[in-house]
Amino acid sequence: MTPYTTSANKNLAGQFFNGLMTFWRRRWLLRYFLHRQVTRTYKRSYLGFAWAILSPLIWVFFLTLIFSEALGLRFREIEENPNLNFGLYLYCGLLPFLAFSEAMNKGMNSIRGNSGLVQKVIFPLELLPFTNAIASMIDKFFGIGALLIVVLAFGQPLHPHVLLLPLFVVLQVVFILGLTYLMAVFGTYLPDLDEVMRPIIRGMFFLTPIIWTPDRLPEGIRWLVDYNPLAYLVEVYRDLVLRGEIPGGLSTLYFTLFSVALFIVGFTLFVRVKPRFADML
Amino acid sequence: MSAVRHAISLRGVGKRYKISPSRSSRLREVLSFGKLKHSHDFWAVQDVSFDVEPGVTLGILGRNGAGKSTLLKMISGVSQPTTGEVEVNGRLAAIFSTGAGFNPEFTGRENAMLNGLILGIDRDEMLERFETIEAFADIGEFMDQPIKTYSSGMRSRLGFAVAVNVNADVLVLDEALSAGDAAFKKKAMRRMYDLRDSGTTVLFVSHSLGMVQKFCTDAVLLHKGRMVASGAPDEVVDRYRELLEKSDKPKDTSHAHRDRQLDYAIEHEDEEDMPASPNGSSDGGKRGPRQATGEAEIVRVELLDESREPVIEVPTGTGLTVRLHTRYAQAVEDSTLGIVLRDRSGRLLFATSTALEGAPLGFRDEGESVTIDFTFGVPLRPGGYSVDAAVSVPGTAGRILARSKETATFEIVPGMKDRPVRGLIYLPTAVEIHDQDSEEQGPAT
Repeated sequence: MTPYTTSANKNLAGQFFNGLMTFWRRRWLLRYFLHRQVTRTYKRSYLGFAWAILSPLIWVFFLTLIFSEALGLRFREIEENPNLNFGLYLYCGLLPFLAFSEAMNKGMNSIRGNSGLVQKVIFPLELLPFTNAIASMIDKFFGIGALLIVVLAFGQPLHPHVLLLPLFVVLQVVFILGLTYLMAVFGTYLPDLDEVMRPIIRGMFFLTPIIWTPDRLPEGIRWLVDYNPLAYLVEVYRDLVLRGEIPGGLSTLYFTLFSVALFIVGFTLFVRVKPRFADML
Repeated sequence: MSAVRHAISLRGVGKRYKISPSRSSRLREVLSFGKLKHSHDFWAVQDVSFDVEPGVTLGILGRNGAGKSTLLKMISGVSQPTTGEVEVNGRLAAIFSTGAGFNPEFTGRENAMLNGLILGIDRDEMLERFETIEAFADIGEFMDQPIKTYSSGMRSRLGFAVAVNVNADVLVLDEALSAGDAAFKKKAMRRMYDLRDSGTTVLFVSHSLGMVQKFCTDAVLLHKGRMVASGAPDEVVDRYRELLEKSDKPKDTSHAHRDRQLDYAIEHEDEEDMPASPNGSSDGGKRGPRQATGEAEIVRVELLDESREPVIEVPTGTGLTVRLHTRYAQAVEDSTLGIVLRDRSGRLLFATSTALEGAPLGFRDEGESVTIDFTFGVPLRPGGYSVDAAVSVPGTAGRILARSKETATFEIVPGMKDRPVRGLIYLPTAVEIHDQDSEEQGPAT
């Protein structure tokens, strides 16, 4: 065991990689914690883990029912594809959006909501935003499973492009992690952030092509989609699952660079200020 | 000396918190980017320095809000000191409140594992220790039930069982023993003795003075964030009692008797459950109700120089007279007046009494006043010193009739022509030099 001194001051890169190493050194704690986070939601219910797949199924079912059967006629001509079911189209947009909004909300509260672990024990705080983000992504993974089940159930073809989806989910995870760490820092420093972010997150829902299609957008405000990382993810899900297309190379490159930068900035900031968290709660 | 690594080393450790009068003023302060200042600083801990050697059991005493928990948190690395440095060598396990980090939905077994992992124990090591932990917690089949079904006692038993069975080099306990029934406490104490004897460094906050006296090898006393005494537990506990007494003078004497009973009950709360110290280092007869009975009163303590003038600064090596004005509230058959001289860190340097000096006070009637002078040389090194006094009944150790209300302090300054004092005290010394060729002279004087 190496002695620790509180005045130990390393450079930024050292802190960054030291923080990353924590995940490996405390991998068992990470595993148990992740398990705890994932199963916590279902621990009380009778059906338990089955809900992970059941609840998104119910979601898709209702969305499909309402938008295709009740309002279906109005959207039948979306993207000139008569087979396209608007409920599925909507759900493809909802999945990345929900991952985003959960990352924002859980990220902000990942330190404040665990004051026991911050103040009462010596806990590697890097793990908290990480487990929050990953648990929420695992949840979304079951959502994707439900989506594929419904696509098959409606007799639509499952494109081989779906196999690429895990690759893009990894990209999404980097994006979500960066966001979560950044929000964890801001949320801890500014207790009012919760209230500020709520309308912003809601606004993002309407600014992202979830209930509308990007090709209907007037040329003047195209940037709303072009510079919106969330819009990129929404379109990736639709490309791979519904349209059977490969997402654009350039936008993928931009998104990758943006996500990696976001993660580096968010995580570095986090490990930099985390010694002060115990006093901020 | 330098080859021995301290288990814990604190150097000028302090912790500052900002206190804002209100929410809005804090906001204004934040928005002004440092131009406005509404908050004031509060030092929860200030300038604390000490070293703890491996295997030492350190009791930390102090009243509520003295900074004990803040200090422990800085030592264990939960919070960062504002000033100074903390160094800890070895694996540290800390319990600030038993069962922190427990999740009510998961079983005892799962939570024990999680708790161990939080403390930084390998999973394999944890699996190995599971049997010991389970046996120690001794909660039977509840081990596989969710924690939410536990009683609070069971919860803390499990938390304690994990912490004391993970082979930490340094164990930090913040009043962790306050829960649990008598049988468990006994077991917990036995385990603590085992840990102590096997060389684990233990830091220990407790309000049970008896426990600190019996169990600890060293103690420190915090008061308003500063360390005011350190050393042997018995002495530090005595200092703590004085501190308590000064801050809590009973206004109504009719309650004095009940207060004493309460004091006794509170101080000895945990002791009957504890096995006696195996090495028998602490003496049982020393304890008793130590609060003054009020049968006598020390009206004033004066410090006088060689010409019997009041002094604050005393040149080293000169004579000092401690003059005590006492008054007897009741007739007392026989009594003895003692004084205690301490240095700034509370270390006891010298104590004497009328009985020890062969000047018995004898029978004193109600309302009688006596003035007693103690005169002695003070060959001490420059620094701050203090004198306390007490009147007690000879023989029945512990029955104290009066204590000085305020500690008299004085400063030792360097003497005019004397040599400087190296060390704590100057001992009158004779030097003889025996040359090799003068054979007939003996080596001793």
